[in-house]
Amino acid sequence: MLLFWAVAGVLAAAAAGLILMRAAGASAEAGVADPAPALYRRQLTEIDELAERGLMGDTERRSAHAEAARRLLAAAEAPVQAWNADPGARRLVLLAAIVVPTLALGLYLKLGTPGMADQPYAQRLAGWQHSDLGALQAPEIAAVLRQATAQRPNEAEGFRLLGLAESASQNPIAAVRALRRAAALAPQRADIWLMLGQAEVAEAGGKVDADAAAAFRRRLVLQPGDPAARYFLAGAKSDAGDRPGAIADLTALAADLPAADPRRTQVQAAISRLEGKPVVTADPQQLAMIQGMVAGLAARLETRPDDPAGWVRLVRAYAVLGDTTKRDAAHASARARYAKAPQILDQLDEAARTEPKP
Amino acid sequence: MIVEAGAFALILALGLSIVQVALSVAGRLRRSAALAGAGEGAALAAFIAVATAFAALMHAFVVSDFSVANVAANSHTEKPLLYRVAGTWGSHEGSMLLWCLALTGFGAAAAGLGRTLPRGIRSMTVATQGVLGSVFLAYTVFASNPLLRVIAPPVEGRSLNPLLQDPALAVHPPFLYAGYVGMSVVFSLAVAALIEGRIDAAWSRWVRPWALAAWSLLTVGITLGAFWAYYELGWGGWWFWDPVENASFMPWLIATALLHSAVVTEKRGALAGWTVFLALAAFTFSMLGAFLVRSGVLTSVHAFAVDPTRGVLLLIILGVTSGLAFTLFAWRAPSLAQGGLFAPISRESALVLNNILLAAATMTVLLGTLYPLIREAMTGESISVGPPFFSLTFVPFMAALLVLVPAGPLLAWKRGDARGVVQRLWVAVLIAAGVALLTVALVSPRKALGAVGVGLGGWLVAGAVTEIVERTRAFRVPAAETWRRMTGLPRGAWGMTLAHLGLGVFVMGAVFETAWKVEAAEALQQGGALNIGAYHVTLDGVRPVAGPNYDADQATMTVTRDGRPICQVKPERRLYTAGGQTTSEVGICYRGASHIYLVLGERRDGGAATAWLVRAYWNPWASLIFLGPVIMALGGLVSLSDRRLRMGVGRRREQPA
Repeated sequence: MLLFWAVAGVLAAAAAGLILMRAAGASAEAGVADPAPALYRRQLTEIDELAERGLMGDTERRSAHAEAARRLLAAAEAPVQAWNADPGARRLVLLAAIVVPTLALGLYLKLGTPGMADQPYAQRLAGWQHSDLGALQAPEIAAVLRQATAQRPNEAEGFRLLGLAESASQNPIAAVRALRRAAALAPQRADIWLMLGQAEVAEAGGKVDADAAAAFRRRLVLQPGDPAARYFLAGAKSDAGDRPGAIADLTALAADLPAADPRRTQVQAAISRLEGKPVVTADPQQLAMIQGMVAGLAARLETRPDDPAGWVRLVRAYAVLGDTTKRDAAHASARARYAKAPQILDQLDEAARTEPKP
Repeated sequence: MIVEAGAFALILALGLSIVQVALSVAGRLRRSAALAGAGEGAALAAFIAVATAFAALMHAFVVSDFSVANVAANSHTEKPLLYRVAGTWGSHEGSMLLWCLALTGFGAAAAGLGRTLPRGIRSMTVATQGVLGSVFLAYTVFASNPLLRVIAPPVEGRSLNPLLQDPALAVHPPFLYAGYVGMSVVFSLAVAALIEGRIDAAWSRWVRPWALAAWSLLTVGITLGAFWAYYELGWGGWWFWDPVENASFMPWLIATALLHSAVVTEKRGALAGWTVFLALAAFTFSMLGAFLVRSGVLTSVHAFAVDPTRGVLLLIILGVTSGLAFTLFAWRAPSLAQGGLFAPISRESALVLNNILLAAATMTVLLGTLYPLIREAMTGESISVGPPFFSLTFVPFMAALLVLVPAGPLLAWKRGDARGVVQRLWVAVLIAAGVALLTVALVSPRKALGAVGVGLGGWLVAGAVTEIVERTRAFRVPAAETWRRMTGLPRGAWGMTLAHLGLGVFVMGAVFETAWKVEAAEALQQGGALNIGAYHVTLDGVRPVAGPNYDADQATMTVTRDGRPICQVKPERRLYTAGGQTTSEVGICYRGASHIYLVLGERRDGGAATAWLVRAYWNPWASLIFLGPVIMALGGLVSLSDRRLRMGVGRRREQPA
């Protein structure tokens, strides 16, 4: 609060001082003559100077001289209305110098947030670092972990945790970034590759793209036969257009899973969907989570629409969810927005063609 | 408490601007030097107050204080310091504050430097500047306050659009705004002169330095923007006739016309009414630009978040301030004194023609910018007015103007000698024709129109040089005499020559690049190559690199010609973590004035191996496009340094005489 009053006080005093000083200075100069005749006299000397240096012809000089002289005469003869020092104005000036800061303060107290302290990021971060982890929200944990990983850039576990926190903060891109670092630091850890693959899928709006597939393949190398990796790799096949191959892989996977394994139903559902049959079940919890993320993305694009990559992700996500109405609406609106950018249009069209996912 | 101190300072600035108007008007009415002086003090204080608020906002950006709503919406902790600073003006609210900073800054400059002005004009200028300051500050405080707080600040900010995270774009807005808002002083001087009924040669000289300064700043600002669009958007172009580009171009065209017509008013006392009209129009177009960007009527990289209410408010401000000024003009203009007469062939006539063509060109740009908007508002149908429209309308007017440029300065005032001018310009004609013929002969494919355009650029350059040769009698008198004449030339003359020369350089570059640019795009695998013009571009490889707030794929591309290595560039494709946007970082290989411009596009995973879409452009003479305007702006600065325009100097020189 002290700082506020110091700044406000100095400002108000400076303003009042400037107003009073300039008023006093101007009073002292009240008798200064009109500058126009002086300016015309200067024009006359300039014309002569130019002519002397040979930069102006004789005829031009004569006519220019005559005109400038006429202007000088007219200006010198113009009626001059004198200005006065006006000592009586002093009270008015003083009043203005005091009233303005006072009124400004009053308006500030109404419009501003008096007493609210600054909250620089470094200070808030220090606060989170010293508080109980359980009391923090996911983005705050992510912020603390970001700081920690920056200090210990060679520890895979830190980046893995950061990836988890970023995922939980609905920030798939940052999650992928962190998990890639973790995987690079500890390439032998199968759990990190699986997390990375899943994060890549989330980032791509549900599509198993090349980056995701590469991660799942690494997982399979480290943990042969892993059901999760096989499931997603089958998805990659169907995304690439190889539907029969995907069905074959999933069927083999279902056969390998014990009958009691709950994942089996999910695999069966995926097979049914690929075969065009009505889907029996889907994991409602996971679906709700994905839908929530897509809604978040749509809302963000509503407020900050200038984000081509975001539009591509949104169109692809609607396509994956099988929501054709919303897909087409988003597709049309993004196409209109980037009508002049062919490469973005290509990406949008490709995203709209994405197959719905189990 | 720094943020809150800034919030108070902003409101104080509003109060000071209002009292600036009151004191200046009261001073004028009572002819009281003390009151008018107090008004000037208030103008200086208002600037200090806005500067304090601006510094507070910048500090909040630097320390990432997300309790300030504007910082939370436009910054991010991982952003490099430069872009955190630039984030201060990267949003609607912040840029309005920058606008107010420039506005009060020019108001303070007018109050501080205006001592050579007659008291009446001075007080009315300060008052008008105060009215503009009050209106825009009120808008900022009540409708667009950048220092508003949030009770529960988010953990992270939402970051600045990564396209705007670029050094050229960090400094582009300050220059552009200084240029836009610099026109406000010209506007205020015009209003003051209309009120005082004193529009004459002297007034014109008072206007000129402000117009020159604003014009130079605007030139630099627009060039920086074009350069940014060129290397950051990765489309290989530098001007798209985007409505927002047009919005900055229109005040520039009007200011250019104003600079020329003010010369006529200053030297001959003629065209006074027209000069005042242009002075009012220049800032009106600046405000139109401010409205277009913020109204939400445009979809553009420049457009800030859509907000119709704020747009309507800005439209009201624009309508009321300009409307009042033009009403005043309509009322007072008939009483303006007639200036000196001049013959149809004379410097004055040439400048009138210059003004007609510039005004017509501005009208075509205005039409091309507003027509689609109006049509969409009326019928709901969206149409796009692009380069073909401007090539058919704007370009012919400009070409006609460019043909005339070298002749103008060689014509005498009052009554010119057309034959003499032709005689003096024949060398320039030969050079221009030679340039055009050489272009036809040497450049393939042959393009007649392109060659004519390059010849036109050569005509401007040769014409500018001829003008200096003529004035110094070079090659006809001894070298020492030429030197004496050269050093004796007023800076204003040098400024004009530089500006015309820069225009020629720009025209050559723009025409050559537009007519002969070559494009190629191919999906390349590692080791793959494509040909662009005479060059062979190989994609050596792509590797991931991590930036401060982005991850990028960085390509290494080698350019060779006939097997000889020319250069190696590393274009990038960046993914910004905070917003998830991708941008391209173009790789440019400079070959003299020409560029080999390489863009790394998206990754293609299908097929046997990963491929990358690589786009390559051969942009011949592209450097000239940006060098030309820099020379023009330099001309403006040289002209501004002319002692005849330096305020205050004249008075001191007067005393010994």
